[in-house]
Parts: sequence; C-alpha cells; structure tokens
Amino acid sequence: MHAPAKLQVKVLVLEEEGGAADTLKAFCEVQDLLPVKVQPEHLMSVLRSSIDLGALFLAEAYACQGLQGRRLAHELHRIRPELPIFLRCTADTALSEADQRVVRHAYRLDQLEGMTPVIQTSLFSLVYPEPLVRGIAELTLQALQGQFKNITLMAEAPIIVRDRLIYGEVYSLIPLEASWCRGYMMLQIEERGLQRLQSHQLGEVETTHRDSIRAINNVFSETTNLIWGAFKNRFIACEDATLSKMTQVPIVINHPQRYISFGSEDPQLCFRYHLWDNALQQGEAIELHQRFVFNLSWSPELFRENQVTADSMLASGELELF
Amino acid sequence: MAQVLVVDDSSTVRDEVAGFLKKNGLDVATANDGRDGLAKLKADPKIKLVVSDVNMPNMDGLTMAEKIRSELGNKTVNIVMLTTENSPVMKERGKAAGVKGWIVKPFKGDAVIATFKKLCE
Repeated sequence: MHAPAKLQVKVLVLEEEGGAADTLKAFCEVQDLLPVKVQPEHLMSVLRSSIDLGALFLAEAYACQGLQGRRLAHELHRIRPELPIFLRCTADTALSEADQRVVRHAYRLDQLEGMTPVIQTSLFSLVYPEPLVRGIAELTLQALQGQFKNITLMAEAPIIVRDRLIYGEVYSLIPLEASWCRGYMMLQIEERGLQRLQSHQLGEVETTHRDSIRAINNVFSETTNLIWGAFKNRFIACEDATLSKMTQVPIVINHPQRYISFGSEDPQLCFRYHLWDNALQQGEAIELHQRFVFNLSWSPELFRENQVTADSMLASGELELF
Repeated sequence: MAQVLVVDDSSTVRDEVAGFLKKNGLDVATANDGRDGLAKLKADPKIKLVVSDVNMPNMDGLTMAEKIRSELGNKTVNIVMLTTENSPVMKERGKAAGVKGWIVKPFKGDAVIATFKKLCE
C-alpha cells in the first residue's frame, strides 16, 4: 500500500471568543484542517458561496440572525446538511435526540485532544495514495497545457471536501473504472471563463460556430477526454478494461439548487487550477475545479501506478509508426 | 474529393486537425464517428490517409479500421489513430487491423505533417 497523501480539509470556525478561537486554530493545524473564521453578519453569504468546505466548528455562544447555539446548528444543518457540525459547549449537557441528528459531535474546549478519532472518521474517511494525488495534478496540467495554447497554469494544493455545491455553469462527468476504484471525474468551470479562453484558442481554427454554446461544450469535452485518457494510461491497467460494464448509480444534478449527488456520502478529492490567458495583459484568472468521486468502489490498497515501458516513452503528439 | 479523412466525434479536434492539414496544402474531409467515416471512405476513392480517434459513439476507430480492411480490402489507405489511448493492447489491436501509426493526443501538427504528406502519396 502506498503512503497516503497529506491532504487538508477547509472548515468554518464560528467562534467569537478569542481564546477559544486560538486554541481551535492550533488544534486545526495538528489535524490538517484549514480554519476559516467567519463573522456572524457574513455567515449566510459564506455558506451560500463556499463550495469547498469540509465541516463547521460552531460555538454555543455564537449568534447569527437571532439564532444561537443548538437552534443555529439546526438552521446550519438545514442549509448545508452535508457538512458535519462540531458544537463547542461550555458545560457537559446531553444532546437531545433532535440535536444528535444535526450535531456530529459536541465537545468542551478541554476535550479537544480526544476529538481526533471523530475528526478522522468524519472528515478523512478515505485516504488517497500520494502517487495518485501527485500524478493527477501532473497529468491534468499537461493536458491543459496541451489543450489551451499560450496560457500560464498553477495548481493549488488539493483538499478534501464534503459539500455538494456545483462550481460554475459548465461541468463534465466521466466514469473511472479499475480494480482499485469505480467512480467519476468531474470538471467544473464558469461559462464566461471558458468563453474567454475559447475566443483566443480558436483564433486560428476554422469553425462556423466559434461562439456557440456547442463549441464551448466541445472544447470542454475534449479537455475532459484528454485528462481522462492520461489518467487511464497512467493509473488503470489494461486488464481492468472489462470492469467497465459493472453497475452504475444515478447522478442527481439540481441546477437551481446547484446540487449534485453521486448517491454516496463519501467525501470527494478536489483540485483547483488557475489559468491565465497570456494574450490578455490584465485578465483575471479562470478557475477550473476538478473532483474525483469514487462513489462505487474504493480500494486504495490495490492501487498501483503503471510502469512506463520503453515502448510507451513516446511523447504525446508524436507519430509512432508500426 | 479529399486526400485525408479526419474522423473524430469532437468537433474541436476535427476543426483543429482539418484546419491544420488544409493550411498545409492537403484536401481534407471529416467524419464524426467510425460509421460516418466508413461511409465517407467508401464514397471517396481518392482518400489516401484516415486520421481517426479511437473512442467514439456508434462505431469506434479500431472497429472502423477493421471494417476498412475486411469490407474494402483496401491496402492503399493508410490509417493513423489520434487518441488519448496509449495502451499496448489497443495498439496491438490497431496493428492487427492494419493501422500504420499511433498518435497520443493532443495533436501537434508540426511533428507529423511531413509523414502525413508521405502517407498521402
């Protein structure tokens, strides 16, 4: 079994007591959590706009929109039920049955150390082999560089997310099937960002529908195809090909609610890339979100990276004559 | 009448490859899957080179290559696969079907244009 990748989880810290916030921050560092503090007046907008969260750390004393403590926990759960809530209490009081449905774990500040097991099971329930995580970023950057000419690329450190909100308006899903995994890769991008990229990239290509939605979707589809092909070539052995006819589950996408479900409660592996079109002097970065959702099967102990043989050393784009 | 037939379900790839080949002086026709490609090849005896994707709906590129050999018995048409696939198993199947060459996407025209022109002679 490969060593697991060191991945982090972004958590919202809803805490106004300075001392407690500092203690929580130190705890987060040890647990590989990325704490983001939110003032009550911004909480709802942050919850609506954040798409890469893993959990909420809520203090009983934290108040927002006239709600506080457990009542606020119920409201947060109603808005974002996929995010586990860790409730900091000042005294030992048992959670009611209703509270237990929305609060993953209640704790006092002096009990933080004992939280490690519940953090591990709640937020890090899947481990990802380090060569897989590193390899995904490498092959994706290569594919993007190949697809979009004259761009600058940067990949953020990958994180683990639990939320189910969709980024942007355009996204693609493609199945990944091997002996060690079954699931999907999802790419998400804002339509206007893709349009901006495409208007430059297609400058020299003869096309009758350069600005049409169809052309945009095609570019995005081909980008997905390039990454998928590179993933298969690197991580999926040839003998796994017969696995592709196995069971599937419905993928639920609710556009108005920006919601997508793969039928599994497991967390997803998330990468984020920034692309700058070098032809534009002061263009803002275009974000590309990439998620790996192994909802049908996940056996990292069987994971292996394909050995590059002399026969397959040919660089992409070169012609191999038989 | 065309010299080259570009077969790919992605219009982005078709436009890119066909545009590049036309700019380099070749006459190009396009098809959007293996079934379409086979029909267009049957209808145009001038085609000397087929540049085809592997994974396509209706009929994949390797099946199309096999059908070109079995149905047309055509030894004068050269077939080159342009695909994200890089597995030895797929390449072996391609060789058995008479495929002349294999390119892993993305397409880099400058690296292959000289060979493509030779294959069109």
